[in-house]
Amino acid sequence: MSHASIAQTTAQATAQTTLASPIPMTTTDLELCQIAKCYGQQQVLHDINLSVKAGEFVAIMGPSGCGKTTLLNIIAGLEGISTGAVRLRGQDITRLPVNQRNTPMVWQHFALFPHLTVRQNIAFGLTLGKHRQREIAPKVQTMAGLMHLEELLDRRISQLSGGQKQRVAIARALITEPPILLLDEPMSALDPHLRVRMQGELKRLQQTLGIAFIYVTHNQNEAFSMADRIVVMNQGRIEQVGTPAEIYTQPATHFVAEFVGNNNLFDGTVIEVNATTVTVQCPQGKIYAHSEQNHAPGDRVTAVVPADRLRLTPQPVPAQNIIQASLRGCEFMGSQVIYWLETATGYEVKVMRQEAFSDSLALPINAELYLSWETEDTMLLGERG
Amino acid sequence: MQIPFTRPQASWTPDRASRLKYLCLVPVVLYDSIFFLLPLVFLIWIGFWSVENYRAVPGFSIANYSDIFGQFFSRSRYAYAIAQSVWVSATTTLLGLLLCYPFALGLVFLVPARLQRFALVLAIAPFWTSYILRLYAWQTVINTNGLLNTVLLRLGWIDVPLQIIFTQMGTRIGLLHYLAPIMILILYLVLRNIDQTLLRASENLGATLWQSFWRVLVPLSKPGLVYCAVFGSIISLGDVLSGIVLGGGTGKSLLGSFPLFSTVILNEYAASTNLPRTSALATLLIAMMVMILVLGLQFAAVDE
Repeated sequence: MSHASIAQTTAQATAQTTLASPIPMTTTDLELCQIAKCYGQQQVLHDINLSVKAGEFVAIMGPSGCGKTTLLNIIAGLEGISTGAVRLRGQDITRLPVNQRNTPMVWQHFALFPHLTVRQNIAFGLTLGKHRQREIAPKVQTMAGLMHLEELLDRRISQLSGGQKQRVAIARALITEPPILLLDEPMSALDPHLRVRMQGELKRLQQTLGIAFIYVTHNQNEAFSMADRIVVMNQGRIEQVGTPAEIYTQPATHFVAEFVGNNNLFDGTVIEVNATTVTVQCPQGKIYAHSEQNHAPGDRVTAVVPADRLRLTPQPVPAQNIIQASLRGCEFMGSQVIYWLETATGYEVKVMRQEAFSDSLALPINAELYLSWETEDTMLLGERG
Repeated sequence: MQIPFTRPQASWTPDRASRLKYLCLVPVVLYDSIFFLLPLVFLIWIGFWSVENYRAVPGFSIANYSDIFGQFFSRSRYAYAIAQSVWVSATTTLLGLLLCYPFALGLVFLVPARLQRFALVLAIAPFWTSYILRLYAWQTVINTNGLLNTVLLRLGWIDVPLQIIFTQMGTRIGLLHYLAPIMILILYLVLRNIDQTLLRASENLGATLWQSFWRVLVPLSKPGLVYCAVFGSIISLGDVLSGIVLGGGTGKSLLGSFPLFSTVILNEYAASTNLPRTSALATLLIAMMVMILVLGLQFAAVDE
């Protein structure tokens, strides 16, 4: 298939989607208001508030058991809620049964119907209603074009590869032209190399269709590479909602700072505050931070320093923040090197650098090195909750 | 891109080239030869013997078959008996599926997971009681002045006792009691193995409960339904006890008062000295069963 015709079918699909479901004046597609969920005595979701704008790609990220999949099931109506409300394009759908919501899901293991062909799987949502066969066929064809599945329409599900199954699952979900698409860890069943390619395809698809995607994952790379906004959840609560850049550079809580993985956290006490700089006394030494928040001397705080902002030098360099540590090991990830160091107080520090392979080999294990960083790169969090 | 992947050889699987595998096959071959193949071959062979001076004489004659099929379409009692057997077996199987499928569905979807095993044991418990005792128990229930009729008469729901005993309906009841535990077990296992996410996915795509049932659950339980049908019809064709104890030998059905084919074979075996012809009749019954098995397995395999 030529690129021109792909573009054409894509344009057709977009036109159909917008024609069939015009986006109303309100720009908020999905609204979750004060949602709580209990299983018996155990409360699994606490006071969830979230609004998703039209055409937004939102990733819900968190460790397993944090309630992210439960939240997705609640949006789809597969699980009920104890209190709160779910609104879709202004309509309250809290009590609407699953099969009347049009909030299709792309399942973790795809959940394709093994007794049906690819064509029948894609058409499934349309064959349930009052659509006539001659209305269904062209829609399936357009969707197959959009998802590059034309050649596979008459195959059985068991004859497909993982990537093909995923595309069928997405096509099947989109055939009813839903206002929103829910995705539950859709990449976890794919090979790593395929995962990266599908991330790009999924993001392009979302931009082409212009509908909101809600994407649940525990994988940071997926969330950061695709999402317009990220929701970080932990133990049934939303810890932070923000753009990938905000989550990365301004973690709101200790959990986010630790979960986002590339941060070093130093606990300490504020000893001095002046116009621009806060001085924190940590076991590792004095750390200087630039803070807009109000801190007073004596406050217990945590200094957060991203691993990729740390410099590593064999000699002390003129910098405000400098800590001595010895090299314990390094990992190579392509052109990126992760160094693990240990301070004199036994605290482990992670450093990420873009470096040529040969340069990194020059540093022997147990070498005494200096970690340094700028004041602006230190972020302060209040006392641990 | 294809990543080459070689499955590690499991240590307990004998090597393809190993002679050991032939040794391992010996018990299977012995078992099947002694308990299945040998009697079957004898039965079929005896079917071609003939009778001289009231004694079976080995040989190869198709006289028995020409005897059976000679008047097959002119009021042959064998033809009536085969028709009766096919009718009773088909209707019993259908009734069995209609009773056991909803039961198994209830077991899988309504009974809490921790109680399912217990409920299943209860469901298949009748299997461990004596078949003949169960049939006699049913006699007391469906007798003309038995439990069922007494209760219905007392309640005023009927004016004359229902004639169930010594009809093919009685035969079916006895057969169903025998088949149900096994049908339920097969259907339960098939239903348990269906990925329930598929039902959620169907609902999520807009299907009503009824649509999910017909479009997803039934097609996916098809192998189980076919196995049950094959199993049920073969057992019903071969069973002779229910037809005699509850069906009265020549029980009445929609087709008329004819005995079952298996009953005819038993009677011939017991009463006549013509063992070769009885063997020929039994061979016909086995041929019918094999046909059902082959058809059933093909039908079940279509969607796999």
